[in-house]
Amino acid sequence: MSVLSEFTKGLWKEVPPFRLVLGLCPTLAVTTAAKNGLGMGLATTFVLVCSNILVSLLRNVIPSKVRIAGFIVIIASFVVIVELVMQAYFYPLFKVLGIFIPLIVVNCIILGRAEAFASKNGLILSAADGLGMGIGFTMSLTFLGAVREWMGSGSVFGVPLAGPHFQPFAIMLKPPGAFLCLAVILAIMNLISAKRA
Amino acid sequence: MRDLIKMVVVLTAICGTSGLVLSYVNEATKAPREYQLLKFVKGPSLKVVLPEGYDNDPITDKIQVKLGTDEKGQPILKDVFPAKKDGKIVAFAYDATASGYHGPVSLMIGFAPDGTLTGVSVMTHSETPGLGARITEPAFTRQFAKLKGLDQVKLSTQGGRIDAVSGATISSTAAVTAVQEAIKLFPKIKEEVL
Amino acid sequence: MHEYWLLIVGAVFVNNIILARYLGNCPFFGVSNRMDTATGMAMAVVFVITLASCITWLVEKYVLAPFGLEYLETIAFILVIASLVQLVEMFLQKSVPALYRALGIYLPLITTNCAVLGVAVLCVEEDFNFIKTLVFAFASAVGYGMALIMLTGIRERILVAPVPKHLQGLPVGLISGGLLALAFLGFLGMV
Repeated sequence: MSVLSEFTKGLWKEVPPFRLVLGLCPTLAVTTAAKNGLGMGLATTFVLVCSNILVSLLRNVIPSKVRIAGFIVIIASFVVIVELVMQAYFYPLFKVLGIFIPLIVVNCIILGRAEAFASKNGLILSAADGLGMGIGFTMSLTFLGAVREWMGSGSVFGVPLAGPHFQPFAIMLKPPGAFLCLAVILAIMNLISAKRA
Repeated sequence: MRDLIKMVVVLTAICGTSGLVLSYVNEATKAPREYQLLKFVKGPSLKVVLPEGYDNDPITDKIQVKLGTDEKGQPILKDVFPAKKDGKIVAFAYDATASGYHGPVSLMIGFAPDGTLTGVSVMTHSETPGLGARITEPAFTRQFAKLKGLDQVKLSTQGGRIDAVSGATISSTAAVTAVQEAIKLFPKIKEEVL
Repeated sequence: MHEYWLLIVGAVFVNNIILARYLGNCPFFGVSNRMDTATGMAMAVVFVITLASCITWLVEKYVLAPFGLEYLETIAFILVIASLVQLVEMFLQKSVPALYRALGIYLPLITTNCAVLGVAVLCVEEDFNFIKTLVFAFASAVGYGMALIMLTGIRERILVAPVPKHLQGLPVGLISGGLLALAFLGFLGMV
């Protein structure tokens, strides 16, 4: 039961980056299209799950004074693996995400989960936590990407969805659109939570 | 003291393992990474400059030609991309670079086996948008097709057959210079490739 | 000289690292509630980004590139930045206590500020020489500090404004950030 609840908390109750406001940079930067959001989310999920598992396994071995340094090396190694694999097999996506792939290292969600959860809990729980948070993050990015792509270029996942007379709001693909769109989503989530309570 | 040793040992072990794993992944993905880079950077240009109707993948079949050695004694290699039909080379392409108004302009140049140009395409440049950048437009690049030899590949102001983009003589000259460089290399590369 | 002016204007205004490149957003919204913390953070960021970019440039040029280890760039840079932040913290604490009191609490936060790693990676990607790296890193960091202080100014005013309940806090901060980014779009095409 508790494995399930560790997994599901990442999907709504603590969904990053909407609830835990962490990892904003990739959230704003790469969500110009649903596909890019999905790609970034999956790359982050992979790193998050792997680093959570490894940190959890090594939690009694790593001395607490150097734990952050150890976590960073572990995370960075997985990021480099993702970087190399994406460059080899998903080159167009690798080009679009660009500098934000190495920056997965400093995505606060990953170091945050390693420090706050995986370094204190067992293997199964940590993996569930990582997977839940990762899927939550992927969903959020894909959703934000879909909204911005729909408003900014009139399509979702490249499929036209807005009708022939639609004039795209090009601003939605630019930085101001990213900030405004995220603000509206956060406000709606606040509203839903308030209604439920 | 024991703590300190443990810290050093653990961190060294983590870094060492990570280094080993990464160097393995790096080796394992090396070939596909190089292939993807060529496919997406040079692929679109190759499609334009090679004549239609070939049945191979010029990037997989690329031939490395040695053009001599640099000051340090390292060989200078050039990637040549052949277009084959029924196993026979019908055309091949390679790149050349010259400096334009804002830095290097590099082009992919396609040749038929007799030295006639099959096409030219600008791959990377940083010329001024609306002026020098117009050398990438087909109106400029298609003038090169079917020309042969250094006498024809010159700007029309110098007695050749290429009209410069108006207002962008330096950029046009850079493109022409790069193609001329490629033509100069042609005899040597033909010898190696065919 | 002309080239350097373009680089500076480009990094501070046109390609501002927060508002146009989306780097370092977490602290951008995290510490922009009060002016004194924002100023402290801005100064710490300028200091660390400039220093870190120079050192990572040297590491790339003289350690990674000669041995063909460019693929280890990410891991090497983040370790350099983390240890640099630690060293700066220790050094300031011992030698310049006044500065330490002003910047101390922001320094640990900076390791995970993606603007630091981001600028370091950008300098290597753009193939800058050492002087350009120094200038670009400093100008980017100044741009970061400027945007941070501007946003803080806006948010301090919004605190006393009647904001709809569900927009309070972060959402209205994001909207302010969005308007600021909209204003900065006006610089587009200047360089």
